[in-house]
Amino acid sequence: MLWKELAAILFILLAVVIFGNLWFHFVESILAALKRPFTRRKSPPVWHPLPKEKDQSEDP
Amino acid sequence: MGFFSKLFKGPEIDMEKSAANAKKMRLLFNQVAENGDDYRLIFGYTEDVSRFNYGFVHGSKTKIGNLIVGWNESSQTVAVVPTVPDLSGCGEATYYRRSEILKAYRNKYPTDAFVIYPDKKGYIAINAYDWLEDESLYVYVSQEEELAAFTDFFLNRFATK
Repeated sequence: MLWKELAAILFILLAVVIFGNLWFHFVESILAALKRPFTRRKSPPVWHPLPKEKDQSEDP
Repeated sequence: MGFFSKLFKGPEIDMEKSAANAKKMRLLFNQVAENGDDYRLIFGYTEDVSRFNYGFVHGSKTKIGNLIVGWNESSQTVAVVPTVPDLSGCGEATYYRRSEILKAYRNKYPTDAFVIYPDKKGYIAINAYDWLEDESLYVYVSQEEELAAFTDFFLNRFATK
């Protein structure tokens, strides 16, 4: 009996955690969609990739 | 060496990896900063903590921004370049000249950060440590000596109070 109750509590806790995660990502996606029209025109920041080092074997 | 002595010794720094990353930091910094070789470099980061409350789900989100921080003793300038933990690229350099900034000081609470206010509108809080193990979040570099030199410069020749 005790094991059944323990399993039920654990199952409820697991369901709460899963639902909480789903809810968090759901709200985040809605907020991102709402923000998108305001950030679309913003140009991305300038980014410089790491320069490749010269291969010494290629030198004469 | 036994298992327990290794366990108590703590994590060991991969100095080869650290040196390779220090070299990459220099390459990136010199690419975007004017007279980059006149600056000494450390790795720092910013933390942006925001709270959220989505009904019954609430908590906080932390965004970490990696930085290459350069300082020039003679011109009393700090140059900050945003980057990523794997050092695959970097953004534009921002310069904080002592003669032009509003104020600069070392914060103690809530974090041990170097704070610079370029004007009244905003500020940058730079956190820096000797070495940070988590490569997915921070640049893997050991910088005990450089950090000590930067701290000395910041506290004694750059801070305004």
